[in-house]
Amino acid sequence: MLEMKNIKKIYRTEAIETHALEDLSLSVGAGEFVSVTGPSGSGKTTFLNIAGLLDTFDSGSYTLDGRDVSRLSDKEMSQIRNRTIGFVFQSFNLIPDLSVFDNVDVPLRYRGLGASDRKQRIEKALDMVGLSARLRHLPSQLSGGQQQRVAIARVLAGDPKLILADEPTGNLDSVMTREIMDLLERINESGTTIVMDTHSPECAERAHRQLHVFDGRVVDVERPRVTLAHDRNSTSLTASLS
Amino acid sequence: MFGYHLKTALKSLRRNPILTALLIGGIALGICVSTAFVTLRHMYTQDPLPGKSDKVFYVRLDSRGKDSPFGGGISSLSSNMAIPDQITFRDAQNLLHSPVPVRQSATYITRVFVYPDPKVARPFQPDIRLCSADFFDMFKMPFQYGGPWTKANDAKPDQVVVIDDATNRKLFGGDNSVGKEIRIGTRQFKIAGVLAPWRPALRLFDLTRNPAGAPEPLYIPFNLHNTIPYQSFGNNSGWKRQPDVTTYEQLIATSERTFIQYWVELPDPKAVGAYGDWLTGYINDQKKIGRFERPVYYRLTTIPDLIQEWNLTPTGVRAMSVVSLLFLAVCSVNLVGILLGKFLARIPEVSVRRALGASRADIFWQHVIECELIGVIGGILGIALSAGILALLARFMQNGEALRLDGEMLITATFLSLVAGAVAGVYPAWRAASVAPAMQLKLQ
Repeated sequence: MLEMKNIKKIYRTEAIETHALEDLSLSVGAGEFVSVTGPSGSGKTTFLNIAGLLDTFDSGSYTLDGRDVSRLSDKEMSQIRNRTIGFVFQSFNLIPDLSVFDNVDVPLRYRGLGASDRKQRIEKALDMVGLSARLRHLPSQLSGGQQQRVAIARVLAGDPKLILADEPTGNLDSVMTREIMDLLERINESGTTIVMDTHSPECAERAHRQLHVFDGRVVDVERPRVTLAHDRNSTSLTASLS
Repeated sequence: MFGYHLKTALKSLRRNPILTALLIGGIALGICVSTAFVTLRHMYTQDPLPGKSDKVFYVRLDSRGKDSPFGGGISSLSSNMAIPDQITFRDAQNLLHSPVPVRQSATYITRVFVYPDPKVARPFQPDIRLCSADFFDMFKMPFQYGGPWTKANDAKPDQVVVIDDATNRKLFGGDNSVGKEIRIGTRQFKIAGVLAPWRPALRLFDLTRNPAGAPEPLYIPFNLHNTIPYQSFGNNSGWKRQPDVTTYEQLIATSERTFIQYWVELPDPKAVGAYGDWLTGYINDQKKIGRFERPVYYRLTTIPDLIQEWNLTPTGVRAMSVVSLLFLAVCSVNLVGILLGKFLARIPEVSVRRALGASRADIFWQHVIECELIGVIGGILGIALSAGILALLARFMQNGEALRLDGEMLITATFLSLVAGAVAGVYPAWRAASVAPAMQLKLQ
């Protein structure tokens, strides 16, 4: 799904150069749930921004869904962000004066879908996150967990192949965190690849695979420590340590 | 996508009503001032005879004495090109015999008392224009009842009259008065036609005196001059002392005094050339009888060229229209800063939209449409305000009735609104669209 080789990213100012990523190489297969951990400033967010085509890189190669995305125009990158990638952010990033319905509608508008198709996708996505009754609410009228579920519904409505989640539970309490992680796991089980950047060891351990970024490099690739078994007839997950 | 951008723009404008009012007010002020002054200029510069401006010519002849060149008058021509503004009665009568023009008319104004039915109105002394039957069609004068008199009326000449709408309302209550008679001076005149309300910005057919004045209320055949010596009340100019001339009849028959305006309609350049040849032949014939002592010189001038030559568009109006457009530009440029602040404050939302699939072009057009919406709303408000200002200006102008926002001016004002919106918004929109998508996502 995602393959980076020797990615280098340097932020330059007049005074200093900051090497955010140094020869970062990694590969994420289709359908994987990968967590990325590391200390603040290690390059996790830079990695996610580059993975999500929100930022450029200075050298190296990046193949996304079988396509070399190193030399794409702004329009092509926007189309990939719109159709292939879904973003979940720590601070939800909902547009404050748009209703829940309209927030979920935003990426679908840029895809140029018809009104009935959009409506169907939005209602289905909000139903999946349990917010069907909040269509007309503004983000400010929702709790943090509900706002993050709206953000996830926004992703689901677009039906992307890859979800990039940047500390999706960073602003949530433990109950909400569990809810959101459950939701992400269910989405992953339906075949969507998830790459999640997190500070939380508990969240990281719920991924199939953990990557550790330090000083702009993937320094450690850990094999799954937790095997998840999902009973399709219930909402419970069974975890066992390997 | 346009509909979505429009919806997003409306939502953005509602978000901060005070700021929106400030932006719209800025554009409205600029459009109001610029539209008012551009309309004022338009009044003086619009095509005076749409479709015929290049076919109707004012005829001037240099009939002056060898040592009495014309002084220049109101013309902006250099002194060696100066030519009398009008022609003599003798020349007018002779020119009427030319077969070249499709229409032609000699014309001047007189002043005679009109005696209406005493029960209707008291006697009054209006300006009365003498002209030929061709005159009305040549200047596209609109009729509400009847029409021009005929060439047969000219030939006799019959005592027929065309009256304007105001006179018809005054004397006949606005009814169809064609065929009725009115007394002009000592004679009865039959009404051939009643003009519809008509108020050109300039009195096209007589630009020699007070060109902003209204067209005359009554029109009678020029040839009546042969039997009734109607005295000219327009400008007169002469150079030759003629002590043996003692009566007005002798004066107009032999005088070199110029007081007639002469107009011809020539359909194409070939006809213009042919008429020029005819005039050259006429001048040479006149030389043989001792007239036209100076080199052969005539001018055929269209109305737009005459307006330019005689500087009939007030320079103040031209200058003010330029200044008002600069004022609109200043208003627009002032809004650049406000819009830039407004758009840059929205960068977090732009970043989210970029992450969700909006291209740079999507973001740019979304913001440009918001600016154009401000421009259009400001434009509508500005046009309404300028209509009020024009109505106020019209009250103080002699030709104020011609000062109005016509279709062309409405299109111009709308175009100016869109340009003002673009001038104010393109740079801020470009800045908003240029923000790297990742910039603000983490900070929200």
